[in-house]
Parts: sequence; structure tokens; C-alpha cells
Amino acid sequence: MFINVYTISILFSSIFLIVIIELVRKKKLQERYSLLWILMSAVLLILSSTPAIINTLAEWLNIKNPPSVLFLFGLVYLLVYNLHITTVVSKQSEKITRLTQEIALLKQKQEDKR
Amino acid sequence: MKVLIIIPAYNEEASIGMVVTGIKLHIPEAEILVVNDGSFDSTSEIAAEAGTAVVNLPFNLGIGGAMQTGYIYALENNYDIAVQVDGDGQHNPAYIKDLIAPVAEGSTDMVIGSRYVSRTDYKSALSRRTGMVFFSTLVNLLTGKRFKDTTSGFRVVNKRIIRYFADHYPTDYPEVDVLVKLHKRNFRVIEIPVEMQERQGGKSSITPVRSIYYMIKVSLSLLIGAIETVDS
Repeated sequence: MFINVYTISILFSSIFLIVIIELVRKKKLQERYSLLWILMSAVLLILSSTPAIINTLAEWLNIKNPPSVLFLFGLVYLLVYNLHITTVVSKQSEKITRLTQEIALLKQKQEDKR
Repeated sequence: MKVLIIIPAYNEEASIGMVVTGIKLHIPEAEILVVNDGSFDSTSEIAAEAGTAVVNLPFNLGIGGAMQTGYIYALENNYDIAVQVDGDGQHNPAYIKDLIAPVAEGSTDMVIGSRYVSRTDYKSALSRRTGMVFFSTLVNLLTGKRFKDTTSGFRVVNKRIIRYFADHYPTDYPEVDVLVKLHKRNFRVIEIPVEMQERQGGKSSITPVRSIYYMIKVSLSLLIGAIETVDS
């Protein structure tokens, strides 16, 4: 079997896809967050399925080395996903603050009743 | 049989009073719990004034989180039967007793009040109907059953399902999602025809763009639900 960046990509994205689905099944990853990962694996799979797509894209973007397109894609996607995750974390932070306050106030109410 | 009627409500001040009085009229022996899902209008006050128990969530969780709160309450307070009635007035309380009957007698675990089992006068927007058809097709494919109305929130469940929902209840489009999961765990689900009305005031939280996003999300969830392994 010819080992090149395309075959490695296909192998990697296939395994990644399986891992993601397993994580969701085992409830370690929520479906809403798995969507973007699944999308990424699917696109990576398609991109690496035939050099034709990568070659065309490389031409459009004036990139000398076509496999670099795969890396570019991966990199950009990771950046976007990180941004997404940080917005999720921000919202959760807000909720945790609010919950903490509610609990403290509830405890105070309880102690008052004694 | 101890019956709890769970009304999830998000900014439903226009209809919540009427919903509560309607329920009290038709099934006075049941207890009502309004789950105020972080409303910023006077839903909570109106509900309390209408004379029901109210749970105020610190912030909006969505229909999944809100209903699950109701199921947790039902479990902790030892209810035998839990009914979901939407706070927007679409569900006709006259049907509640009909929906409860099969569950109370033990012939099924869940009853869905369905808009489409027999011909009814219910009409809804085209985009909504497309979504409904899409979901019921997918669910029927995955369960081998022939559900007609998979998105109806007008449902009744018994204690076994209360216990399951208190622990596992999906956050997005839970009504559709649980059908596959319940089927996997061999819970019995039947549909009974009901008449529903248009929403009585307030705004629906479903928009067309969100619909597509949700459709993809829920389809994925349904597919994964169909392949997950069930542990005790």
C-alpha cells in the first residue's frame, strides 16, 4: 500500500470519526459538540479521498505543495473550533457563577430558618 | 395514582393562567408543577397566583432541561404518572384523562397525544410540517414503528419512564429523540388522537434557520441513539 499524506489522512479521519461516535455513545461527549468534529472528519475524509480536489484547491490558492492544503484546512479548523469552545466555556462560566450565587443564597435562607 | 402535570414555560404570561385553570377544570385531582425556564416576563407570578407549584430555574435550560426538572421533581415526590402539557395553550386539557387511562391501567408505558393519527382540524405552517414528516420518517425507520406525530409534547409517562427521564433526558428536541431511546429499552409507547389548537399568544422559540441546525443535530442524535448499547 502506498503510504502518503492522503492515505494517512484517510486512515486518521476514519479512526477519528469512529472515536467521536464512540465518545458520544458513551455519553462522554455531548452530541451538540460532536457535530463540528464529525463535520471536520467528514470534510477531511473527502479532501483526502482523491488528490484531484487538493490539487485544484492548491491551484486556486497558489499553494506550491498540494498536501499543504490538508494541513491548512486542519489548522484553520482547529482555530475556529477553539474559538467556538472558548465561547462555550464563557457561557458556562457565567452559569457557574450564577449557580454558586443561588446556592449561597439558598444556604443563607436555610440558616435563617433555624 | 399520584398524577403530576408538568408545564414547562418560557415567557408564556399570555397563556399560562388559562392553561392552569383549564387543567384544574378537567382534572382537579392532579397536581400541577410549572417549570419556569428563566422567563423574564411574569409567567412565574401568574402561575403562582393561579395556584400551582412553581419551580424557577436560575437561567434558561430549554425544553429538555425544563422537562427533566419536572421529571426529577416527580421522582423525588413519588408520583406514579407524569403528564407534559405545554404552556402555550396548544394542548387541550380535556384530553388529559384519555391520555392517562392506558398508562394508569398498565397497558402501556407512554402515551403520546397525536395530532395526526386520525384526521383533525389542526393545521400548521409548511416548514413545521416538513420538519415533522422528516422526523417521523426517520424515527419510524429506526424503530420499525409507525409514529404519526413525533414532535408532540402532549404526553403521559409512568413511573418507570419518570425514573429513566430523571436521569437521561436529551436537551434538543427531546420529544423526538426519546422515542428511539425508549424503543431501544423496550418501553411501550402508543399514540392517541387529540385535537390541538394554535398557540394562544406569546412567541414560538423555533425559527427556520434554527430548524435546519436542529434537524441535523437531532438526526445525528437519533442515529447514535439507535446504535448505542443499553446497559442496565
